[in-house]
Amino acid sequence: MIPLLIARNTFREATRDRMLAGLVVTGLALLGATQVIGVLALGETRRLTVDLGLSGIALLGLFLVLLVGTSLVAKEIERKTIYNLLSRPIARYQYLIGKWAGMSAALWVVCALLGTALWALLAVRGVHGHALSLAEAVYLTGLELTVVTSIAVLCSSLSTPVLSALYTLGFYLVGQWSYDLRAFAEKAPGVLGHTLSAIANMVPNLPLFNMRTLASETLTTTPAHLLIATLYAVAYCGCALALATAAFESRDFK
Amino acid sequence: MTSNSGLAATHTPSGGDGGPVTGEVRGPVARAMSARSVVRAEGLSKEYRSPWTLKVVQGLEDMTFDITAGEVVGLLGPNGAGKTTTLKLLTGLLKPTRGSAFMFDEPITNVHSRKRLGFLPEQPYFYDYLNGREYLELAGRLSGLDSREATRRADEWLGRVGLGDRPRLVLRKYSKGMLQRLGLAAALVHGPELLILDEPMSGLDPFGRRDVRELILEQRSLGTTILFSSHILPDVEMLCDRVLIVLHGRLARSATLHDLMAHGANGVEIRCVGAPVLEIPPAWRARLERHEHADGTAFQLSDATLLDEVVQWLMQHGVRLRAVTPQRASLEELFLAAAGHDAPHAQAVS
Repeated sequence: MIPLLIARNTFREATRDRMLAGLVVTGLALLGATQVIGVLALGETRRLTVDLGLSGIALLGLFLVLLVGTSLVAKEIERKTIYNLLSRPIARYQYLIGKWAGMSAALWVVCALLGTALWALLAVRGVHGHALSLAEAVYLTGLELTVVTSIAVLCSSLSTPVLSALYTLGFYLVGQWSYDLRAFAEKAPGVLGHTLSAIANMVPNLPLFNMRTLASETLTTTPAHLLIATLYAVAYCGCALALATAAFESRDFK
Repeated sequence: MTSNSGLAATHTPSGGDGGPVTGEVRGPVARAMSARSVVRAEGLSKEYRSPWTLKVVQGLEDMTFDITAGEVVGLLGPNGAGKTTTLKLLTGLLKPTRGSAFMFDEPITNVHSRKRLGFLPEQPYFYDYLNGREYLELAGRLSGLDSREATRRADEWLGRVGLGDRPRLVLRKYSKGMLQRLGLAAALVHGPELLILDEPMSGLDPFGRRDVRELILEQRSLGTTILFSSHILPDVEMLCDRVLIVLHGRLARSATLHDLMAHGANGVEIRCVGAPVLEIPPAWRARLERHEHADGTAFQLSDATLLDEVVQWLMQHGVRLRAVTPQRASLEELFLAAAGHDAPHAQAVS
């Protein structure tokens, strides 16, 4: 109940922020731009539209996490609005879960809006049969952003908004290359190999959520992949929020 | 409405209609009957450690006090004495280094201890993207009200604090006084049995101060236990049953206002007119001072036991008495005495 109330308020905060409206408009403009660029793609307009459209959704979602999500908790501490919440019968873990859930909900709405716009654009262009692959790709992008949001909440509960954004971006970038990092760790000697392997295991396995190439070929993924990705996201978010709670529990608000 | 900026002076007590968090009898009767402890601190201490130098700064040391149901207690002390630290420890915003505290017999580490608490932080900050009604609804719901009740009380309290005519005005457009009143409404919206207010009159104009004072007095009449910190000593004097004086992070004194005043300086002012030029007898000179005013003469008698003799002496000399007024030491004088006339502290008290 309490996390839901905080989530609702966080959702309101994110959706009333002009940043979100600006990013949605940018996303729509980007989809429009794919039609101009597509002319140069020599018959690959469909593939380019889907690929750029899905990449745009993921990128704009990431911007939203970095610009709004990473300051979710830190801004509340800085502005002291947190006093009005935590002096009520609210456990700190409920607060963090609420913040994460609210921000994630806002991201899912952005993904759904832009995903629908992409599907509508393809339909208008007379391209059909993309609905399922697009829905799967948008779903996985939503999961990816939910995982990144949990990292943002973790960083935000420990640091300033700017540093939180940098840490989150770092996690995101390394997470995107986690397969390469793991492969490199296997070849690296001794301590370096172990360290890289530990980092690769710690950062989120973000390639798991990337099926943009498949979707651009109108291919769907397997239910097992969707299930594993969902379970992985739930587990990763749970771990990140548990760590955030452990750090936040002993924190003083001076 | 009590003023232009004002809070409603007369209204139905919200606590009286049975908030969701209390089923107890409220009001003066309950207050008189009950002497149960509402807040209890036992050796509460707080140390701050610099993360860079690891230097430890003592914020609060061994605070022990007890506040019983229905009491209005003022927390006094100069800047940096530990007042806000005490209040933040009680409200769960800070974690104690040592000691323990209880609210309604539940340890403050348990979030449920805050269920019957209303807290107004110093210079409250709000979500500027919400409007007043949304904020109070949120505050009510987070303190346990259901959706319908939260909406009803949000509307009620917006009206009571004089903000009811613009319920959809976003908070970024509120003035400081409006925010302070909204903060009070948020602290009271769920009908708490304990109110903790950190400098509730800070930064308010005289109208705002009067309104807040009236609201505190009203809550007091409902039997709400109130703990508040303030620098404005006349307000404390007007509102409190008891004061806790905090100095250097320690509880320097805990006394009822009555006891404090009774042990303070006692004197009498005698106002009179038509007094001829009287020479004060040498035996009284140390205890009796004469001041001439445009409307007559005032004699300040520092020892009330001499009153009969002085009055008789004045009457014998044809003086017409206008007023004989007992003089009490002000809380400020008593506070300064408790603070040991420490210069930096004295400056901090306005």
